[in-house]
Amino acid sequence: MLVKMPRTQRSPEAAGFSGFLRGALQVAGTAMPIRETAMRLAQIGMMALAVSAASSTRHAVLHADDSQPGVKSTKDQIDFAHDIVPILQKRCAKCHAGTQKKGGFSINARQALLAGGDDGPAVVPRHGAESALIKRVSSDDPDLRMPPEGERLTRDQVDLLRRWIDLGAEWEDGFAFGKATRQAALAPRRPELPGGAAVAGLANPVDKFLHRHFAQQGAIPDVVADRVFARRAFFDLVGLPPSPAELEAFEGDRRADKRARLVKRLLGDREAYAAHWLTFWNDLLRNAYHGTGFIDGGRKQITGWLYGAIYRNKPYDAFVRELVSPPAGAGSEGFTYGIKWRGTVNESQRREIQAAQSIAQVFLGTNIKCASCHDSFVNHWKLVDAYALASIFSDGPLELHRCDQPTGIPSAFGFLYPQLGTIDVKASRAERVQQCANLLTHPENGRLTRTIVNRLWARLFGRGLIEPLDNMDAESWNQDLLDYLATDLADHGYDIQRTLSLVATSLAYQLPGVAPERGTSASDAFAFRGPFVKRLTAEQFVDSIFSLTSDWPAPDPAGLQPDGRAQGGQLGAVAQALAAASPSPESAAGAKAGVPLPAGFRVRAALLPLDSLQAALGRPNREQIVSARDASPTMLQSLELINGPILGARLTHGAAYWHKQEMLDQRQLIDQIYRTALSRSPSESEMRLAGDVLGTPLSAEGIEDLLWTIAMLPEFQLVP
Amino acid sequence: MPNGRSRRREFLHASAVGTLGMLAGPLGVTARRCAEAASRPSPSSTADTLIVLWMAGGMAHTETFDPKRHAPFSAGMKADEVLCTFPSIDTAVDDVKISMGLERIAKVMNRGTLIRSHVLGDLGQILHSRHQYHWHTGYEPPQTVAAPHLGAWIAHALGPVNPAIPAFIDVGQGYEGNGESEELKAFQSGGCLGSRYHPFRVPDPRQAVSVVRPPAGMSEKRFRRRFESLKSLVAASPLPRENRGELQEALLRAEDDAFRLMESPAARAFDLSLEPPSSFDVYNTSKFGLGCLLARRLVEQGARFIEVTTEYGPFLQWDTHDNGHTRLAKLKQEIDAPIAQLVLDLESRKLLDRTLIVLASEFSRDCLVEGKPDRRVPDQVEQPAVVNELKFYGMHRHFTGASSVLIFGGGAKKGLLYGRTAPERPCTTIENPINVTDLHASLLKALGVPPDYHVEVEQRPFYVTQDGRGQPRSELFG
Repeated sequence: MLVKMPRTQRSPEAAGFSGFLRGALQVAGTAMPIRETAMRLAQIGMMALAVSAASSTRHAVLHADDSQPGVKSTKDQIDFAHDIVPILQKRCAKCHAGTQKKGGFSINARQALLAGGDDGPAVVPRHGAESALIKRVSSDDPDLRMPPEGERLTRDQVDLLRRWIDLGAEWEDGFAFGKATRQAALAPRRPELPGGAAVAGLANPVDKFLHRHFAQQGAIPDVVADRVFARRAFFDLVGLPPSPAELEAFEGDRRADKRARLVKRLLGDREAYAAHWLTFWNDLLRNAYHGTGFIDGGRKQITGWLYGAIYRNKPYDAFVRELVSPPAGAGSEGFTYGIKWRGTVNESQRREIQAAQSIAQVFLGTNIKCASCHDSFVNHWKLVDAYALASIFSDGPLELHRCDQPTGIPSAFGFLYPQLGTIDVKASRAERVQQCANLLTHPENGRLTRTIVNRLWARLFGRGLIEPLDNMDAESWNQDLLDYLATDLADHGYDIQRTLSLVATSLAYQLPGVAPERGTSASDAFAFRGPFVKRLTAEQFVDSIFSLTSDWPAPDPAGLQPDGRAQGGQLGAVAQALAAASPSPESAAGAKAGVPLPAGFRVRAALLPLDSLQAALGRPNREQIVSARDASPTMLQSLELINGPILGARLTHGAAYWHKQEMLDQRQLIDQIYRTALSRSPSESEMRLAGDVLGTPLSAEGIEDLLWTIAMLPEFQLVP
Repeated sequence: MPNGRSRRREFLHASAVGTLGMLAGPLGVTARRCAEAASRPSPSSTADTLIVLWMAGGMAHTETFDPKRHAPFSAGMKADEVLCTFPSIDTAVDDVKISMGLERIAKVMNRGTLIRSHVLGDLGQILHSRHQYHWHTGYEPPQTVAAPHLGAWIAHALGPVNPAIPAFIDVGQGYEGNGESEELKAFQSGGCLGSRYHPFRVPDPRQAVSVVRPPAGMSEKRFRRRFESLKSLVAASPLPRENRGELQEALLRAEDDAFRLMESPAARAFDLSLEPPSSFDVYNTSKFGLGCLLARRLVEQGARFIEVTTEYGPFLQWDTHDNGHTRLAKLKQEIDAPIAQLVLDLESRKLLDRTLIVLASEFSRDCLVEGKPDRRVPDQVEQPAVVNELKFYGMHRHFTGASSVLIFGGGAKKGLLYGRTAPERPCTTIENPINVTDLHASLLKALGVPPDYHVEVEQRPFYVTQDGRGQPRSELFG
């Protein structure tokens, strides 16, 4: 985020925390550099990025350090690049270049500069003195002067600008302020696998494509220990920590391919897998069990369809087709149905446009939100492009509205990438929607597969091959790898689990976790070193607590049966999806509403309604599409963990469970709790300290205190 | 009187004393609060703190701060005679009359400005929570960007006044069993600013202290012991190499911050039982009244933004679909003394000059007109043409053409009457209309936040007032 108002940079010692926990870290001999919070860092990082982006044109850098750009030019000829660009860059660009368009005025291109803003033309070529730009930069009127604050332009600078305009305000062909919007290639691409000595010993294609990154680090780093790998793979693939028994079996396994076997086993645990990936898709598809819009039937859940699709690992092309062009009775229509609030809605938020925006963002990794209102300032999409896609979902062509004002111009029908094909103007709505689904999943649409494999990669590695995940026109730090994974997905029946397996069995995925680099989204600045350490999502945290306390919630009646507004009922929908997916014909035939959940079914956090605990930990309300959650810890979250009633009640239950395990002595009890919570046994000093927490005689209260303390440990709250 | 900067210094000093005092306790100190001193209001600001008093459900202007011709109830009266069901009373400002039942507020009217021309968004068919979303964020839902609450923007722009008091506090709104809870949650949020700017919620001011206390039933001793244990177990943790870093530190710091808030002397502000009974009783008219008391106590400790709501629930409180007259008599009794006392208390503590109080509602009501006077809206509240029963006597339809707003302190003009509505139905705005965007811009300007303050979301700017276009009304201040 770019902060507009100046903020004073904080002094390092002022920013650090020197509370008890820092002391604790020092005791452990691992005092960490004092930094801003993650959020602040992100902001500062982004500021630095924005500044560098603003001064990254090749013209501007020439004078980047001049405090008085342009003053040295006294010659008659004006050199646009050297004389004019630096002045505009330094004194105008902050508010009038790139995405900034104060007063409706942008200097991005010559045409924009001449056209001016809300107050009319800014530059009249050959009439420097009469041009508003010159009047403004030389005015002392506080309401008129430009720039509005800070030093005036020098007389020499004003003179240069005026003479430049007098000479015709020549512009360099192709030059533009602000970032030129990059457009990625659309077609799939099949890069050759790197071969030769460089990749000797690397079997997994992912690793072959990363060999340069390995080489840059001198050698291939050691992979993480079994327990770390298990914890990572469990959380990333099924959203849960391994149980002590699972961990023991894995650690005891002597087979060389046991990690690949574990990945396969986890992907095969369809219930666990579906519950975990439901969160990912619910965020992306705005599927909420309760939410805005339901009050007036303005929204539909897709829970049953979605759970079933993930559970069965529905091929991704079919998955997309069914969301965009829902088969009758499938239950997937909620995605393009969108969210309708009661009352009059801005044109750029009508259902059809929401559908277009969502399809573009989720499946194609591109943003047409700006272009839904006016030609975009941030990318190449035009108003007509957004409306053409939206009109597919309308009974007839929509009327173009610019900034909520009708234009009287009917929209065409079209797909964002017309090279893939066209939409038949005469076709019915259902046929058009089907055509759209087919174009999206067209074999030549490399963007569909790149977008999803990039999202999957980001899930496992904490950072995409392209960032941000919703802008697939940005540069990738490893285009070959991205292209390979994308075509591999298409070539293997759009099998999402294959991609996950390929990535999770790579050496790269087994590297030690790396502290996330926040705020560095530029691909050229990114050096791959291994997966980022990730914070548990709200759902993973809550599921970890359920595991730790051996206490999974009973299905709530409101989860089994939707209410009068079609809210809730998500568990009932899942039960139905499970019955329909059953290999036994009788069960599948009985897949009607009201069918019970299978015995032993775990009600995972993702299947619970949003409560204050999960909300505090970052589960979104699914009002907007969320492709990457805000993972920065906050005081409000901690407060919920410290005195919130939901976690408190869970821990009380859990303590009662552990208290009942009478066959365990104190040491065994502590060991079991550590292994369940942290996937490891405690050290001797931890054993002793945990014993102090438990106290004697052993009480449920002491156990509850230990469970709470462990849940608060960063080690518990992070995927290693 | 202390200005914002020196008050901040006071808090920093007090915090330092507080934390030093804690050295003997299980937890260490932090120097971080000094960091917060960096975010200071701009020199041109006239207020450090904003309190929003939210009349949830639609407060009829003609029944409160903009009275019209009084038509006493008589069975058989015509509905179109019903403009105003209460007589008018004098206020401390010559020529400004308000509605009976608001006598105490009437006495402090010379401390603030009364705006009678607040025009609310015409969003078509009424959904209260949607209009509330609009008022609180400046944007009409749905939006592709999660629009932040006004309090979140202010917290983002200015940070806390006293670092021990959360910058954005929301008092009085519960969600349990509320038919529009999802819609309310959608805007009572930090939105695109991130979870750091979510509100600190006090759903029930009567139990305010519980949000900064150990869990119910846990002794202080045990609670502190938990933190001691945490400290030792963090120290003993082997901290695998791959786990180190900013994220881990941020997690620990967040836990530290929460504990410090609970231990802070400022947290006593949440404990209403510490208020002298004579003062407590004045505020104790209702949950809302005690919310006003909590707001005052928090401002004394250095709060940045507090909203106190009468609480929205469909057909409850100001959402009078029936018995408007009777229900308003009671509602006025609930708000009159606490609001007046809040103004007087802040004044006597020399805090009113830097604390801006604004009272507002998502729209007004009328007996006959629904929405804008010139349009018919579906699903209007039933209103017989002839009023035979008391339950049909009152303002039961939703009216967006005019609404009353009160502002006190924080540089607001004293004794100003701004805007005018027609004397006859539709009693709509006829002078100085001011919409949400410009009202926000005016409030923000008082706090030193420009109307085009923005963040960048998905590469585009998102502004505190719609498209950065808010125009502050300087005539309301100074």
